[in-house]
This record gives sequence, C-alpha cells and structure tokens, in this order.
Amino acid sequence: MLEKTGVPTPEQVDSIFPTEERLSQGPIAIIECFQPIPCDPCATSCPQGAIAPFMDINDLPIINNKKCNGCGICIMKCPGLAIIVLDMTYSETQALIRLPYEFSPLPQIGEIVLALDRSGAKVAEAEVIRVTKGKPPIISIAVDKALVKTLRNIRPQPSEAAILCRCSDLNTDDIREFIAQGHTTVDAIKRLSRLGMGPCQGRTCTPLIIRELATVLSKPVESFQPGTYRPVVKSIKLGELAEYTE
Amino acid sequence: MIYTDLLVVGAGPAGLSAAAAAGTQGLDVLVLERSHQPGGQLVKQTHMFFGSKEQYAAYRGFEIADFLLDMIKMPNVKLQLNATALAAYDDGIWTAQVGEKYIKVKPRAVVVAAGANERNILFPGNDLPGVYGAGAVQTLMNQYGVRPAKRVVMLGAGNIGLIVSYQLLQAGVEVAAVVEASPNIGGYLVHASKLRRMGVPILTSHTVKRADGNETLESVTTWAIDEKWQGIPSTEVIWSADTLCIAVGLSPLCELLWQAGCKMVFVPELGGYVPYRDGNMATSIEGIYAAGDAAGVEEASVAMVGGKLAGLSAARYLGVDIPDESILDCHKQLEALRSGPAGAKIRAGLGKLTH
Repeated sequence: MLEKTGVPTPEQVDSIFPTEERLSQGPIAIIECFQPIPCDPCATSCPQGAIAPFMDINDLPIINNKKCNGCGICIMKCPGLAIIVLDMTYSETQALIRLPYEFSPLPQIGEIVLALDRSGAKVAEAEVIRVTKGKPPIISIAVDKALVKTLRNIRPQPSEAAILCRCSDLNTDDIREFIAQGHTTVDAIKRLSRLGMGPCQGRTCTPLIIRELATVLSKPVESFQPGTYRPVVKSIKLGELAEYTE
Repeated sequence: MIYTDLLVVGAGPAGLSAAAAAGTQGLDVLVLERSHQPGGQLVKQTHMFFGSKEQYAAYRGFEIADFLLDMIKMPNVKLQLNATALAAYDDGIWTAQVGEKYIKVKPRAVVVAAGANERNILFPGNDLPGVYGAGAVQTLMNQYGVRPAKRVVMLGAGNIGLIVSYQLLQAGVEVAAVVEASPNIGGYLVHASKLRRMGVPILTSHTVKRADGNETLESVTTWAIDEKWQGIPSTEVIWSADTLCIAVGLSPLCELLWQAGCKMVFVPELGGYVPYRDGNMATSIEGIYAAGDAAGVEEASVAMVGGKLAGLSAARYLGVDIPDESILDCHKQLEALRSGPAGAKIRAGLGKLTH
C-alpha cells in the first residue's frame, strides 16, 4: 500500500503504464503521481502540450499519449522525481529507461550499475547508456524488456575499493583515478594526494602504489621508482628541532 | 654533535652483530634502536632457530637476543634505546630522535641495519579493525602477553605466517586456516607439518577475496586463484574470524640509504628495492654498509653473519687491521646458510644484485 509503504502497488503502476501499442511506437513519459498535491510543473513545462493543463493545481497529470514524444523535459521539472521516460524500441531485447538521479558521483557511460525496484531492492544489473548533466541529472540505462515495469532506480555497484594509503585515506579507486588522469609516477601521485606523506612515510603504501601502477599500466614493477626519500623518515615536532643545541 | 667511529642503525640481529664485531676491534660504536627494547624481531621469536652453532641454532630467538646483548657489553659500545634515526645528510651528518630530543651524529662509518616493514595487500575491507600484520599479532602475543584474537585466518604460508600461526595455537587461539597464494608453501615444511598435526588446513593457490564486518572483522572470504593469480568465481569460502593476519612478506627499510644516495636495485627475491652492495656489505657510498633485512630480506641467521661482516668491513675501512680469515669465515657461513634448495631464491636475487 503506497500510503503505508511508499511503494506503489503493481495495479497502480499498471494504471499509469501506456499501452503495448503506444510503447511500440517510441519513447514516452510515464508519470507515477498518485496523490493529489498542489504541483503542476509537468503540465506547464511540456513543449508538446502533452500533459493537459490543470484545472486545479491539485490535479493529477494526464498524458496525451499521442502528443508525448518522450523528450524528457518533464523528468527534470518534476519536483517529486516521479517521471521516467521508457523507450521499448531501443533494441530487440532491451529497453531504455531514462530516470532522474540526484546522487554523487554520477555513474559513467558504460558503467554497470545495480537496477533497483520501487522498494530499492536489487533486481538486475544495467548498463549506463547516457548521462545528461541537467538539474537533476538524467541517467539512461539499458534493461531487459521484461523488467521495465519493475525497475525504477539505480545504485552504483558496492565499492570493491581497498585502502591503499591508510595515513591519507586513499583507496584503489582514488589511485586509479589519478592514473587515469595521466599521473603515472609515485611522486606525481604523492604530490597530488599526499600519499606516503603521513606517519608511515610510505613504508606501507609504496610497494602497493608501485604494484598498482604496474598493474594498471601493464608495465614491469621495476620500471617504477619509489617517491623521493627526503629527511626525515618520521615526523617529529618542530620544537624538538628548535631546542637542539650543540 | 656526537662524534663516533661507527654508527649502527638498528639493534636487531644484524645491528648488534655489527656493533659487537666493530666494538671488539676497539672502535667507538653508537647503536641507535627505535624500540625501548633491543633485539629487533628476535625478542618475540619463541621458536628454536635453524642454522648451525655459529648462529646459535636450536636456541630460541629471545635467548639469542640476550647472547648478542652480552657481546656488546663493552665501554666503547653505546646502545641508545628509544632512538629513531631520522635522516642522512650530504655532509655526513646523521640525525636521530632520542625520546623527544633531536640529536646529530657525525660518524666515520655507518652500518644501516634498520630491518624491514611488513607488506600489505589490497582487498575490500583491508582497513577493518581486526586485520593485522602478522608481526603486530606476534608482538601483542609474545612481547606484551596479550591474547590478540579468538579465531584467526592467516594469509601467507611463508615462515612468518607458519610460525605465527603455530604460536597463536600455543596461546590458545584458534587458527581457522592458513591461506597461501603461491602453489607451494613458502616456509620451511617442518613448520607447516607442525600446524597440520594440530589440524590447521593450509590452502595453497588461495587468497583473500574480501574481509567483512560491521564495526570490526567478522568474516574473511577466501577463494582459489588460477595460474595467473586471478580469483576463480564460485570457489569462495567464508570463514568466520575476528582476526585476519597478513603475512605476505617484508620490504627492506631503506629510506636512509636512499637519502644517503646509495645505488638502489630492484630485486623482488630480496623484498623489493635494496641497496647495491659488494660481497662485504659495502654500499655504493664509501663508508656506508648495509646488513640484515635492510640489505635484503633473509633469515635471522644470515642477518647475524651479515651484520658481523658489515662490522668487520667498516672496521677495516676505518684502518683496523682485520685478517682475511675473519672475513672469509663470514663468507663461508653465509654461503652455507644460503646453499641448498631453500636458498635458491635468495641466490638468484643476490645474483641480480651484484651484476
């Protein structure tokens, strides 16, 4: 029950889903707006006039399936993030779902994300096809056609990152990003990230960063030098230096 | 400024042996030791050592530390505890932090015997409390008398992984499994057999996939790996454990040698970057010698002989007449310790070092 759980029932979802025939003709917006609340940006923003003007600001939106061309403007205008665009003509086996996504970081094109149902449960994996950096950003995912009524959200895969530099709290994802940006020496990554500049002074992380560079760049480990070693090998208080007398 | 003939960095088996050798020749020696207790890793070694009688075979590590400490009891050798060597400067001055005081040392020669650092590996959850270096577990258990865990998964079947697993059993800790990525057990097989007799499985060609737990470690997932060291899906086993010990090898602690400008060579068989050195432990910088794990990770027996050799070489460099036989005796001992199939890897590494 939507009122108790926040999850619309399958019957409610069915009630707002376009016909098979309409779906076979191309992309279309689907609006999951089941409660009359005072809100009308979907109707006022539609360039096609596909959402009938509201008589009362509490009206529920009604889509004219013939006029809607699935442009997706309304996705960005809906304060309730209640609108998706579904394109069943995307490919033979897959449909494209465009949905609003307000979490950082945004997924990357080509990334495989978890596809979630309306209760947030993982149902499948989906490939990110497009990332539109609007307000809010809109993510297009390709999904199995059989799941289009079920899938309604995405989430990144749980991080498989491992801590590489404890002192400066850098994990393998952080390091791979630096390498992807073209920083391919221990010293370059050290200067950007403070890797190896904490209490351990590189003792733990230097062999790990060298191995990571070698793995990512497919080069032998011995082609990487450790960072430049400078005095002192551990941090000491400036006062101890200042108090030094011959 | 402290002036001394020989500065020795580290009071482990190598450093103490170097100090004893040079001190016996009448040189002024200053030994800097980071810990409050001398002996390095020896003090937490409760097992009997291998080697022969020159390296105190069949004695336990902590007993050997006492023998070595007796050998440096002479007025011209000073052991400074709680002293971390900090830096080596171009003008030949070395600095250290003693307690909370900064000191400068101007030695005529130096033996760097700083030891090694435990390696780590990358897997999700590697920062959970309960994931330890095996050395830390050994320190808690054997040096401070703390039972560090209830149930342990050990990663690494080299000598450290095998020995610490056995000592955990002795301390009343359950060892769920020893996991080793290599196809073969790396440590001495007699150590492995001791564990197997206690019912501990050793899984070769396996590694840790991930560590999980809410606040602290609760489970360790291991899996089999193929010949390219890649995990094989659906071979996962989940072990409940409150501690995961990482014993995947050591990296020589060479920062001071890098700073001093010594030529460094990458030799995986010796633990990574190690100082180039000649057969008498002299680095590429005149008057600077390296010994023990800092010169390449090997057994404590080798560290003691190598330390002695470094101490004698430094003494000779400082003008003391050292008979060739003393040097040759060290060479002979080292050769014997590295001979045989167990020393093949080390020999290969040394071959790369001196080319």
